[in-house]
Amino acid sequence: MALDLGLAREVLRLRLGMMIINEMYKAKAFKVPIHLAMGHEALAVAVSALMDPDDVLVCSHRNIHYNLARNPSLKSEIDEFLLKDQGLAQGRLGSMNLANPARGLVYSSSILGNNLCVAAGLALAKKVKAEPGAVLVVTGDGAMEEGAFYESLEFMASYDLPCLVLVENNGWSLATRIHERRCHIHLDLFARAFDAPYLLLEGNDPYAYLAELRSARDLALAGPGPVLVEARMLTLGDWRLKTEDFPEGKFINYHAGPAPTVELSDWPLIRADESDPLHVLCGLLGEQMVRDMALALRRDLEGEAA
Amino acid sequence: MNYVQHLNACFRSAAAARKPFVAYGQNIAAGSCVSGLTRGVAAGLDQVALNTPNAENTLVGVGFGLMLGGVSSAYFLKQQDFLLLGLDQIVNTYNYVRQSRPTASYSIVTVVVDSGYEGIQSSLNNFHDFCSFARVQGYCLTNRQDSELLIPRLFKEPGFRIIGVSQRLFRTEVLDFEAGAEACLGGEFFRYRAGDRATVACCNFSLPQGLALCRGLEAEGLSASLFSVNAVLPSTWDPVLDDARRTGGLVVLDDSKSANRSGHRLALAAHQSGAVKKVLVRERSFTDQDLRPAPEVFEVEVGDVLRVLS
Repeated sequence: MALDLGLAREVLRLRLGMMIINEMYKAKAFKVPIHLAMGHEALAVAVSALMDPDDVLVCSHRNIHYNLARNPSLKSEIDEFLLKDQGLAQGRLGSMNLANPARGLVYSSSILGNNLCVAAGLALAKKVKAEPGAVLVVTGDGAMEEGAFYESLEFMASYDLPCLVLVENNGWSLATRIHERRCHIHLDLFARAFDAPYLLLEGNDPYAYLAELRSARDLALAGPGPVLVEARMLTLGDWRLKTEDFPEGKFINYHAGPAPTVELSDWPLIRADESDPLHVLCGLLGEQMVRDMALALRRDLEGEAA
Repeated sequence: MNYVQHLNACFRSAAAARKPFVAYGQNIAAGSCVSGLTRGVAAGLDQVALNTPNAENTLVGVGFGLMLGGVSSAYFLKQQDFLLLGLDQIVNTYNYVRQSRPTASYSIVTVVVDSGYEGIQSSLNNFHDFCSFARVQGYCLTNRQDSELLIPRLFKEPGFRIIGVSQRLFRTEVLDFEAGAEACLGGEFFRYRAGDRATVACCNFSLPQGLALCRGLEAEGLSASLFSVNAVLPSTWDPVLDDARRTGGLVVLDDSKSANRSGHRLALAAHQSGAVKKVLVRERSFTDQDLRPAPEVFEVEVGDVLRVLS
């Protein structure tokens, strides 16, 4: 069966959109802190494609990929980061709290774990009003260390709330890897503790992700309780910092701010392996097709951003 | 009818007028129902009463989620100190939600443990501090008139606020000023008596002490106006200051343990106005000695006040 090229095009649009923003960031165009999410595009595109009009999405401080996926206008996103009146939220929200209620992205929080509690309330509102749809909430491997993660899962499970909890596990919290800061947490067992189904996504294939997320959403709607989805990924844009102590360069994980080694080009691939959704698209569609789509999209997006 | 029975009747009636409505909190529909405060609240059609798990941070956030989802709610807490666990939501989530012009109402109702004996962690009487973080409006309820006006209004009005009730007053007969109570600025203040020699303004939950003081002054031949400052962050002090300009003397009472009291701000406003000749502030002390499990004492001597006013 032929693949829907729209999904691939969206992955590329998100990548190129973030690269254009990254170039502006390097040129010091923004005052607000932005957390780029290159490497996260496959999940964001699948989540956006998954969403019914009745669904709502709740994000964290790293929300740029979801906001781009829910918003066809790169210009309004950039204007928001520039805090202009024409911005997506009229320049009131900036980056870390950026939301787009008209397109179902109702809340983003810069505080780890905070958004899970609000998602639980949104799902309770749906249940009380007998409204259709699910609440999708995005969190990370850092936020799941917070007590709010446990509390919220408990609340969602206690009241059979139709929630899809998406853990973006990029293995890092700021500058520390998981094993440098805590024990391993078996999310599958954690989900089992609440009798919640658990799904692991790996491989950055947006088509496979969409199919699996559809099943997970159906499970969440059928109930009882939430479904926990762990998506393993890398946040691309790391670099090496040469210092006296590290003449070969010290590895710097990308967390926020501009990614100095990422350059906007006609070919926006960052890594030639499975950690880059563009590489995965090449395997699915053929590199030339992906290159052609990227070239056309870059022209359009740069024109829009200008 | 005692204070907690009266509050319960107000909460039940105000919740019944909102549909859909969610009342939630730990043990709100079980056991003593928070000493009777929440018994029967949200028991009607299209209403939900949830006995929740012990997850205060999440529970504070749930109310904001309900608000964003268009459902009005009230979260009842047995002790104000439990709210410490939800401060992130009160500040960060509220700062987002307040920009989104919500159509639903969300009230956190906390019992302020001001009766003593609960121990060093639970005797928190610091309503002003919670409201200060994100300039959240808060309301102190001490009597029949303020609760009958404010509870229905606040459960209906879109937006978020915190409502404080005093545990010390739970089993006491509810104060009833009958026709003598006059709401100012929609309930930010109430005036219960009009006098001509002094103005007594009661912050936090000090209205009973203020009433006793007024009666004591009256016995000495000095009539005093009596106000409660119900709003933790009043939009203006004018109702009290206007009265104090007329009477010439202002007595400010505040039984909070906070270092961020309404009483301070009122006294400062009175000094800055330059029009109030005599200002006396009586506040609850708070030292290491006050950490012992013991009755919370906040008394105002009539003689002290008379000496300043005369």
